[in-house]
Amino acid sequence: MRKYVNWLLPALAGILILAAWTGVKEVFGIRNFVLPSPLRILQAAIKERAVLLAAAEITITGAALGFVAAALIGFLASMVMSLSASFRLSLYPYILVLQMTPIMIFAPVLVIWMGPGLPTVTVITFLICFFPIVANTTQGLISVDKNMVDLFRMINADRVQEVLLLRVPHALPYFLTGLRIAGSIAMIGGITGDLFAGNTSGNAGGIGYMVLVYDGQLKIPELWAAGFTACLCGFVFVTVVLGLNWWLLRKWHDSIVKSDV
Amino acid sequence: MDTPNPPLVSIAALQKRYGQGAVVLDGINLDVNKEEFVSLIGPSGCGKSTLLKLIASLSPVTSGTLTVDGMSPKNAREEMAFIFQEATLLPWRTVTRNIELPLEVSKVAAAKRSEICARMRHLVGLDHVPEHYPRQLSGGMKMRVSIARALSVSPKILLLDEPFGALDEMTRDRLNEELLAIRAQQKFTAFFVTHSVAEAVFLSSRIIVLAPNPGRIAHDFTVPFPYPRTAETRESPEFQRCVAEVSRILRSVSPAHP
Repeated sequence: MRKYVNWLLPALAGILILAAWTGVKEVFGIRNFVLPSPLRILQAAIKERAVLLAAAEITITGAALGFVAAALIGFLASMVMSLSASFRLSLYPYILVLQMTPIMIFAPVLVIWMGPGLPTVTVITFLICFFPIVANTTQGLISVDKNMVDLFRMINADRVQEVLLLRVPHALPYFLTGLRIAGSIAMIGGITGDLFAGNTSGNAGGIGYMVLVYDGQLKIPELWAAGFTACLCGFVFVTVVLGLNWWLLRKWHDSIVKSDV
Repeated sequence: MDTPNPPLVSIAALQKRYGQGAVVLDGINLDVNKEEFVSLIGPSGCGKSTLLKLIASLSPVTSGTLTVDGMSPKNAREEMAFIFQEATLLPWRTVTRNIELPLEVSKVAAAKRSEICARMRHLVGLDHVPEHYPRQLSGGMKMRVSIARALSVSPKILLLDEPFGALDEMTRDRLNEELLAIRAQQKFTAFFVTHSVAEAVFLSSRIIVLAPNPGRIAHDFTVPFPYPRTAETRESPEFQRCVAEVSRILRSVSPAHP
């Protein structure tokens, strides 16, 4: 029963929202370019599906590459920062600077340096995904219980064993939290990348680029369809990360395992 | 006097302070022989846990000497195992893999490892949960895993820092009895920090009472009755008398409270 409620309630809420949307539009006579009806958007999406799918593929590729790069490099950077407090102290302010500078300012600079194209989109996504991963993973690596560290000293573990057998597994849930946050903003990186650095030769841009095109052509339902496509891509992204999170922690972590003994 | 064997742990004129802070332990002289079971009790701040950490070489001695089996504590680490107040299990490892951890770290071959582990699991009565994760275990079971892990390296010396302090009384009594039964087989020398006089009397052959400010040895008490001890031991008048006496000593060294 509970299982059904879990999707029935959101489904009902969705129908209500769509009904309200259509109702408001009809009652107040709102015109299509201000607020297209859900049906119109669906029609536009179907009509433009080839273009939107191709755009989604381009955007997701950039977002995914940047995300994976941020995961790998972020993990390594965290390892380096966990090795010594001096490293942490020296590097952290500059990682913060990266995070605090809005990506819209980095983006044009990166285009000047690298030109438009997938590598630039990747770097843009990388930049916004990097911080949550580094911040969380570093926290996990250094927040190991003092007694655990003493235990490893008592069993004569060397530094490498301490890192591999204690610190890295302990940091795994923190790392995954970083990935979850990064996963939910990776699409922003991808679309920002499209807008500033999308490779648009042959009219094959990502979703960000298609938003610009539809806007310019006053194809408003198509614009909305592009928005929903981006939203859908975001869900796919987060679902993959959540799946990874579940799979890695399913056996031992309290956040996943609910029933006890 | 014939003493063919030198003491296993020998402490002389030991002083400990952290940095430039107050002196935590001062003028500690203590010789402990093989297979003694020594409890360290005393009011909070008397340095009993610190003394345990010094023996374990988890913290350096400030001045004086401390030898373990004729070596510096650091060199003797392989002969020692430490059991903490919390079970300190790795939550991502099963019972079996937790018990095997020290063996894995010292690169014991896998076959040998699982053989030892199975023996230890049996010893602490955890045969039925080899693949359980720590979160699936009760506090008492977790502590059993911790004990099995410590014993897997066949330590000469077992250092226990209030291991049963967080457990309910029944579980604590049971584990006390089991610890003695295990010791009858494994023959380790034990240093046991506790707040409970009854626990100290039940387990120990010798009780060291520490006084605070600075931490020093106030009394060296020999528990007069023999092993093996069982649940019935606790009910004997002799046991009760002993607990009363140690309690009196403990009160005499505790700072007066309003």
